[in-house]
Amino acid sequence: MNRPLVALCALAALAALPLAAPAVEPAHHHEHAAPAAGPLPGGSLYQLGATLDGSGGPLPLASLRGAPVVVTMFYSSCTTVCPMLTLAMQRTALALSEPERAQVRFLMVSLDAARDTPARLVEFAQSHHLAAPAFVVAHASAEDVRTIAAALGIRYRQLPDGSFSHSSVITLLDRDGVAVARTQALSAEDPAFVERVRAQLK
Amino acid sequence: MQRPAHVLPGLAAAALLAAAAAAAGAAPASLPGGEFTPVVAPGPDQKTVRLAPFALDVTPVTNGDYLAFVTLHPEWRRGSVPSLKADSQYLAHWQGPLTPGEGARAEQPVTHVSWFAARAYCAAHAGRLPTWYEWEYAAAADETRGDARADPAFRERILAWYAVPSGRPLPAVGQGPANVYGLRDLHGLVWEWVEDFGGLMVSGDSRNQGDPDKLQFCGAGALAAESREDYPVLMRMALLSSLEASYTTANLGFRCAYGDPP
Repeated sequence: MNRPLVALCALAALAALPLAAPAVEPAHHHEHAAPAAGPLPGGSLYQLGATLDGSGGPLPLASLRGAPVVVTMFYSSCTTVCPMLTLAMQRTALALSEPERAQVRFLMVSLDAARDTPARLVEFAQSHHLAAPAFVVAHASAEDVRTIAAALGIRYRQLPDGSFSHSSVITLLDRDGVAVARTQALSAEDPAFVERVRAQLK
Repeated sequence: MQRPAHVLPGLAAAALLAAAAAAAGAAPASLPGGEFTPVVAPGPDQKTVRLAPFALDVTPVTNGDYLAFVTLHPEWRRGSVPSLKADSQYLAHWQGPLTPGEGARAEQPVTHVSWFAARAYCAAHAGRLPTWYEWEYAAAADETRGDARADPAFRERILAWYAVPSGRPLPAVGQGPANVYGLRDLHGLVWEWVEDFGGLMVSGDSRNQGDPDKLQFCGAGALAAESREDYPVLMRMALLSSLEASYTTANLGFRCAYGDPP
């Protein structure tokens, strides 16, 4: 199976050629948190008018503005990569001191809008010790799932059996919702990512 | 390989009507849907997808169409769209936010539009972006057959377009031949956004790969391609998969679909 895979990756590179190179946003690197006031930056995730539904009921995504947010997407019936994703979120939280942790939100949005009801996610959060207010384990509508995933660059596809194949990415948003760091390291600690989280608190 | 025929007898006549309407810039074409075998199998044990009937714009959305849209929806004018939803090249080839100008004639396909922008346009027209399977199904047809993919001459024709260097002015929409559904320009004019562009290369088998750190774009792309010789489709998928939702490029446009989302 290796050969077609390599061929396809090469194809991907080739196929991109006829296009003008997409303009990439300059990365925002202000490590010092901006106060959560004033106009929303153009690159903020909160430009999406999405609504979350977590343990505390419906919650506008933009209401998370003001705290640095560590965000990922998963689904609760996933038995392969999601448990590691959940662990990686917990590990990131535990790498912070308690006062630090209290200033950060850890957001897990389910990709499975149909089956991961808010009630089911509350149960999931309890059984995995993902305690509010630090952890927000949330349902979103299929439409909001699609736009949040798109904005975070998370690739996913629902498979015929109802499960999801998805990329496992954890993104750090600054206090205004602008993505400032990403990690795909799930099986081990990512100290550099934790430092980026900490830097948002200064 | 045996593939089901999609074209019902009455549909050919309907397609002719739709093509005639398209010349006048009118109604979208109706597609019957049904069982379709995509080039890349949807899952480990599944080779086909079932598509509900849907309608599709006969040609890509034009600069003229898009101007009407931004005139009505100021939030989608160049300069007003947040960078999350469109990069800095959004409508960059237009002379001004409400003046396409010489570089973007009304009958040319609109390009330099992001996925967010394309979706907003379609939503404003009571439509949506087609899914990849809908697009692939529509684009599998030629002038006489619902599924021409097994014909090497069909593939050659499409590949010939890929070999044309970009950078020259885009032709007007509607110049390509109408396929059996009455659709034009699915091949040979621009690349087109689809709703699920981000999920195409995510393999059904990736869950079973050992190292989750490898679950990235190419690593997950161990595709069970049904027909690996179908380069035109694989190239299209590879290109779409390499995009981010805010990207805009000079050769990337879209058309809208109508009907319940699958």
